[in-house]
Amino acid sequence: MSTAEFEKSVVALENEFAKAAEIRPIELETRDVSVWFNTRKVLEGVNMQFEKNTVTALIGPSGCGKSTFIRTLNRLHELLPGAALAGEVLYEGKDIYGPTVDPVHIRLNIGMVFQKPNPFPSMTIRGNVLSGLKLSGMKRSNHDELVEQTLTSAGLWNEVKDRLDHAAGELSGGQQQRLVIARALAVNPHVLLMDEPCSALDPASTLKIEETIRELSKDITIVIVTHNMQQAVRVADNTAFFLAAEGEPGHVVEQGKTTDIFGNPQDQRTLDYVNGRFG
Amino acid sequence: MTTLFDPSRIPTLQQQERIRPWNKRTKKFDVTVALAVIVPLLIVVAMFQFSDIPDALVMVIYLPLQLIASGIAASLTKGKRGIGDSIIIVNAIGASIFSFVVIISVIWSLLSHGLKALSIPFLTQNSTYISPSTPLEYGGIAHAALGTLLIVAISALIAVPIGIATAIYITEVRGKAVPYVRFFVQSMSGVPSVVAGLFILTTLILTGAINTSAFAGGLAYAILMLPTVARTAEEVLRLVPDDLRTGALALGSTRARTVFQVVLPAAKTGIVTAIILGVARVIGETAPLLMTAGKNDATVTNPFSDPISTLPVSIFENVAQPYPDAVTRAWGSALILMVLVAILFTTARLIGRNKVK
Repeated sequence: MSTAEFEKSVVALENEFAKAAEIRPIELETRDVSVWFNTRKVLEGVNMQFEKNTVTALIGPSGCGKSTFIRTLNRLHELLPGAALAGEVLYEGKDIYGPTVDPVHIRLNIGMVFQKPNPFPSMTIRGNVLSGLKLSGMKRSNHDELVEQTLTSAGLWNEVKDRLDHAAGELSGGQQQRLVIARALAVNPHVLLMDEPCSALDPASTLKIEETIRELSKDITIVIVTHNMQQAVRVADNTAFFLAAEGEPGHVVEQGKTTDIFGNPQDQRTLDYVNGRFG
Repeated sequence: MTTLFDPSRIPTLQQQERIRPWNKRTKKFDVTVALAVIVPLLIVVAMFQFSDIPDALVMVIYLPLQLIASGIAASLTKGKRGIGDSIIIVNAIGASIFSFVVIISVIWSLLSHGLKALSIPFLTQNSTYISPSTPLEYGGIAHAALGTLLIVAISALIAVPIGIATAIYITEVRGKAVPYVRFFVQSMSGVPSVVAGLFILTTLILTGAINTSAFAGGLAYAILMLPTVARTAEEVLRLVPDDLRTGALALGSTRARTVFQVVLPAAKTGIVTAIILGVARVIGETAPLLMTAGKNDATVTNPFSDPISTLPVSIFENVAQPYPDAVTRAWGSALILMVLVAILFTTARLIGRNKVK
């Protein structure tokens, strides 16, 4: 074996190891999840796996069930009247819809950020960050450190460090959204669900939040619904494409690595959608 | 490689059962909850039966007992977090049962006394030639029911438009006088009903401007109804999001059209509630009617000419009589009054239901 050949095989072996290291445990998984509102089936047979510390983007046209799906992942779906469900959602291997499971516990571990920033208007910036602890009755020492740490993770610390005791309503939309992310992080969730977190924000704030998402994904698993395909490319490791035909429930038409979905989709509809030809 | 959806699985998926897993409970949960309800009840019943503890004290003991039992049940099924929930649930259910019992006992006493008076003549005749000692088979309160409806209708015709206009002035026009208007509306809601009656009596009836009549009664009622309608309507108009107003204005709508075609329809159910509350405020008031509408054994249909009887006044008159039949008539009138209120409110709710055109 020549030196060149040997080096080549070493590189190949190194690549193998790198790939093996990339395989992460599955944190959240759905099995044949179908969702109804009263008798109308809005989502059918969703099978997805969310690996630990990855970002998964859910894309697709409006009304195909992405937001509904994300709400089933932390048991917010059941709060809507007429909601019904089939299938299983496994968090760390256990069905979160099991009869002994406390939804409060699930929501504590699987946080959520919504489309419209919703800081509590009667609380200060600091109070908003710590509100999760108060609301869930969680005890954590050293609040100041926690406030600084979560606001830094959310990319907001430098902008608000001098006015932590001001009302949260004073902040701009983008800052409010990052405040809400900090609030979600303060209870130390393992999964963060984001339902179009940037749709109401300007490009600069969007970029900041995307940086935040990339940074956060080192420690937590993120699922993000987005209409912005560039955003999916920028932040997501994996992407799932949802689509609902007229009058039919939505399906995950295609899912896989973001690079594959955008670079080499197998389904014609995915190809059309990611190239902006419809939807 | 990406994963595709397999359309051949659709038939299988269509077999999936539509369930609400969050409503599923474990047997342990059901049993614990059942025990938490039954055990305190048994203890209390036992205390009633076999101990010397006064009954009133036993009833006072029951709530903390139930709280403790539910707390234990909650901590067994839901952990520490469940205890707080159980305290709130027990108190809420307890308070609901209490108010339910109050309402039921009111309805029960009305029914048990009032049903005896009910008959076809009671519902269709007036009380001409009827004295308090006349047996129940003769005479009725149709004239009084008509009087109540007439007076409430007159007062609603006056107070509802003015009340809603006041609310619109406060929330939509937002003129300079808003603080003063609100102050006066608030003061008005504190006016005792007897003062409203006196006011109409001294300013309009004694001066000879109008007769003691349904119209005078309606004016007195309107004074009482107005602040309730105005304040409630103001609250519900305030709940209409400003986005709707700006949205309509951005379409080139005038402010008046915005109010009448966008804001008021959006607040329709709330406005109906305001009217209902206004009617509920006045319908049982007796004092102002004694002074303004008077009483009359005959049926009166002209709201301006003669004194007119109403249900509250005829209850007041009859209940003070030393004859059992008269008292039964009063109960019957009260029952009819309540049924009238129920009919009015149900109709209002039906009309006020949100329909999208």
